[in-house]
Amino acid sequence: MEVSHSLKERTIAENSLVILLQGLRGRVTTVELRDESAAAGRVTSVDAFMNVRLAEVTFTDRQGAVSQLDELFVTGRNIRYVHIPDEVDIRATIEEQLQAIHRVRYFGGRDKGRREFPHAKHK
Amino acid sequence: MSFLKRFPPPSDGVRHQQPDTEALLAGRSLGSGTLYIAESRLSWLENSRVGFSLDYPTISLHAVSRDLSAYPREHLYVMVNAKFEEETKETPMTEGEEDDSDDDVEPIAEFRFVPSDKSALEAMFSAMCECQALHPDPEDEDSDNDYEGDEYDVEARELEQGDIPSFYTYEEGLSHLTAEGQATLERLEGMLAQSVSTQYNMAGVRTEDSIREFEADAMEVDIAPVVAGQFEDAEVDH
Repeated sequence: MEVSHSLKERTIAENSLVILLQGLRGRVTTVELRDESAAAGRVTSVDAFMNVRLAEVTFTDRQGAVSQLDELFVTGRNIRYVHIPDEVDIRATIEEQLQAIHRVRYFGGRDKGRREFPHAKHK
Repeated sequence: MSFLKRFPPPSDGVRHQQPDTEALLAGRSLGSGTLYIAESRLSWLENSRVGFSLDYPTISLHAVSRDLSAYPREHLYVMVNAKFEEETKETPMTEGEEDDSDDDVEPIAEFRFVPSDKSALEAMFSAMCECQALHPDPEDEDSDNDYEGDEYDVEARELEQGDIPSFYTYEEGLSHLTAEGQATLERLEGMLAQSVSTQYNMAGVRTEDSIREFEADAMEVDIAPVVAGQFEDAEVDH
């Protein structure tokens, strides 16, 4: 489980559904862009600004032409949809990502942190 | 190409520089030159010192293409949300007939950078990813990055007792820190960074280089050892 090493990005992720996309790391999915092109590939990473990096991509441009790209980086601004694979348990993915963030946040006093901040509000 | 200008090569924050790189716009070659992937902008200068720059906010995507059936040479593909003057044979009328929505769609320009050294494509791609991440979209209105988090405030109030630390959101917490506190925060973050990364041997000091390299590799750093034990605990809580 990989978490951003920027405090700002962790906070943004924790407060937005981009955290779900971050949980898709390693999975193959399709990203539809604003200009109606689409990229299907394996998610390498998603940052707090929803910039998505994909590998082994099949790219379909807005005219419908298909090509393969080794790696693709698309800015969050230009993404229209990210498909969530059917087999992904959305709730569990979000919770795992949040736990990963909390582990980083409370690395000094982990146990103390967990008792103090019950996960009730994430349920 | 009238958008080509003469300017000195960037000297600051150049993450990657690739000489002997041909630049093409919409399939037309602009010549061979050097691509400069700098933190402030992407620049390409032809060997005779004229070239152009692209600002990261205008770049929608970039990619490494090795599919020779799609394009005969391995290259770095960059799609830009802007129009560049180009001498093309396509007339507006032709485009209108083929695709009526063209007028409503944002203009795009497709650049290809073909380095003579194909093995450099990975480094070029990664450098661009890093630089793009430095330019988050300032017009992003959809996402609520205000950190208002009422729920956090409630928790902070409930849990404010003695010396148990409250739970601050980013801005709140930062505003509570003195200059010294902020320096400590940065140092501790740096130490955390090292505790999960064995590649960097900076004794407790978080330099600009190590931050950059570290964040660049953030996706490769695996904090699995910390993770392993935690999952079981987490399930108990739920």
